[in-house]
Amino acid sequence: MPEQDRIDRVFIANRGELALRVVRAARALGMESVVGASAADRDSLAAREADRVVVLGAAQARESYLNAPRIVHAAVATGCTALHPGYGFLSERPDLVELCAEHGITFVGPTAAAMRQVGDKLSARALARGANVPMTSGSEKVANVEQALEVAAGIGYPVITKASAGGGGRGMVVAHSAADLITSFDRASTAALEAFGDGTLYLERFVEKARHVEVQVMGDGEGNVTHFGERDCSAQRRYQKMIEEAPAAILPPDVRKRLHRAAVQLLAGIGYRNAGTVEFLYDEARQDFYFMEVNARLQVEHPVSEEITGTDLVRQQLLLATGRASLPEQKDVKIAGHAIEVRILAEDPDRDFMPTPGRITRWEPPTGEGVRVDSAVVAGTVIPPYYDSMIAKLIVRGRTRDEAIHRLAAALECYVIEGIPTNIPLLRFIVAHPDYRANRIDTRWLEHTVLPAFQAKQE
Amino acid sequence: MSKISQQDLESLLDLFDRSEWREMRVQGHGVELFVSKDPNARLADPVAATPPRVAQVAVQAPAATPAARQDPPARTEVPGTSGTLHVTATTQAHWVPVRAPCLGTFYSAPKPGSAPFVAVGQRVTPDTEVCIVEVMKLFTTVRAGVAGTVREVLVRDSELVEFDQALLLIEPDA
Repeated sequence: MPEQDRIDRVFIANRGELALRVVRAARALGMESVVGASAADRDSLAAREADRVVVLGAAQARESYLNAPRIVHAAVATGCTALHPGYGFLSERPDLVELCAEHGITFVGPTAAAMRQVGDKLSARALARGANVPMTSGSEKVANVEQALEVAAGIGYPVITKASAGGGGRGMVVAHSAADLITSFDRASTAALEAFGDGTLYLERFVEKARHVEVQVMGDGEGNVTHFGERDCSAQRRYQKMIEEAPAAILPPDVRKRLHRAAVQLLAGIGYRNAGTVEFLYDEARQDFYFMEVNARLQVEHPVSEEITGTDLVRQQLLLATGRASLPEQKDVKIAGHAIEVRILAEDPDRDFMPTPGRITRWEPPTGEGVRVDSAVVAGTVIPPYYDSMIAKLIVRGRTRDEAIHRLAAALECYVIEGIPTNIPLLRFIVAHPDYRANRIDTRWLEHTVLPAFQAKQE
Repeated sequence: MSKISQQDLESLLDLFDRSEWREMRVQGHGVELFVSKDPNARLADPVAATPPRVAQVAVQAPAATPAARQDPPARTEVPGTSGTLHVTATTQAHWVPVRAPCLGTFYSAPKPGSAPFVAVGQRVTPDTEVCIVEVMKLFTTVRAGVAGTVREVLVRDSELVEFDQALLLIEPDA
């Protein structure tokens, strides 16, 4: 069928705010949308706004959002031409990409081959090495603790163990000495095995004071890659990001330029298609960055890049995947201002971040200039206990970082959520912290400095 | 869709309106729909033996004019007169639905062309296979789950069914 006669209908294999965003982006482009929901989400906002909702299975993710056969079956049966995987769930699973291809459905994301290449951390390191992207000194896979000790002696302590098969903190343990490594190696390997079904570990030199910076890119699958600036996601707890901003204000201009170039080169080399992120550690003292990993999907924190570039990345994903528009050229991507996102979580920071599913009885998100809330929650929404605890993303934009922080503090002050405890009290505390205001933080600052101070204040 | 929605009704009526059919009767999803272009037409008693509670809902619907019936393409340009639609609910409250274990394609028979697992009026035990749901060539057998009599098959063959959708209705043994 000629391109222009085809009605594009996109299947959304995800939930929450991202599902809602894809529904709206599709509608704005004149495309139809079908949401594949779990039984717990059949009445979600995304389900209500989509042209159609189909219930895939029971609430548990493996019965619904993690069930690739059901998802593709539903996409085919509802006449969808494209599938958006969102983030999390099956978004980085090459088998889903292949299943879509077998059934003639356009996957809104990279190819299965590219996903495999960057998804395995060791092959991603090989790729980075080939593209001359700087890396921390590290190893190939280590089979056992004896080999790990040998490798660590070569790298020099401290070292960090990492799982070959995935990220998110699983299988990551910092060892400051050989004794540390002996006690932690098997534990790390078991954690990796449980999380990814593969206990393979490798070692890297551990950068003590590091910032987490990452570059948002998009590729056309033909070797052209455009970046949309970088983000700083150093405020993390247990490797889970809590605050993300763009640009990374600590980077000197020349380092920023090199960082962008490294990310673009890395993915251009494999003909990367659609949205992706290249993550780096930044050593502020040495003004050096080191390749960490590639996330072959849209990320939770993409809105801060949208805010500073004025680009709707979800819309851009759909345009690229359906062949309606080509990749924006680098010269057309203009970066201005500063944006910050905080993740609003259904977790209680006073009770060791215990998840707090339940019914939201009052929901008054902030509004105003430079304030955006991405969420699929309204008063009366029940936060189910089966999935991730993120319930909203509050995004602010200002001309400068100071202005953005000012708006963020004000927005957090008037954000009213009742019915369940959230992390908003902690976010208010972080944003008021002098270290945060002065941008003197690193990846362990939240855990080592903020949380003890926050807990002391609560008592 | 596990229930017939307003939208479904409107689509059905629209379809009927554009057709040359004189009457349309739709059964399933716990709803029985009877429409006629003859204002005097009445639906015969739906279940003769034990008349169920019958809810008759009058819906204003455009009905075709005789001219339109003879010339369907011109139909949309002819404003219709109002007719009456009777929606008759025939589902008995104590009938038990057999629900889909997951999303998939519904098949009433083990393979194309062969006899269906069960027919309306057939006695079943909890273990009786009543249909299959297929997901990517993976077949899940669905059993009655209750002893009784099959009263209604709610889904057409090879239709997409969603998780938890009612597939058949069984009247349990007293």
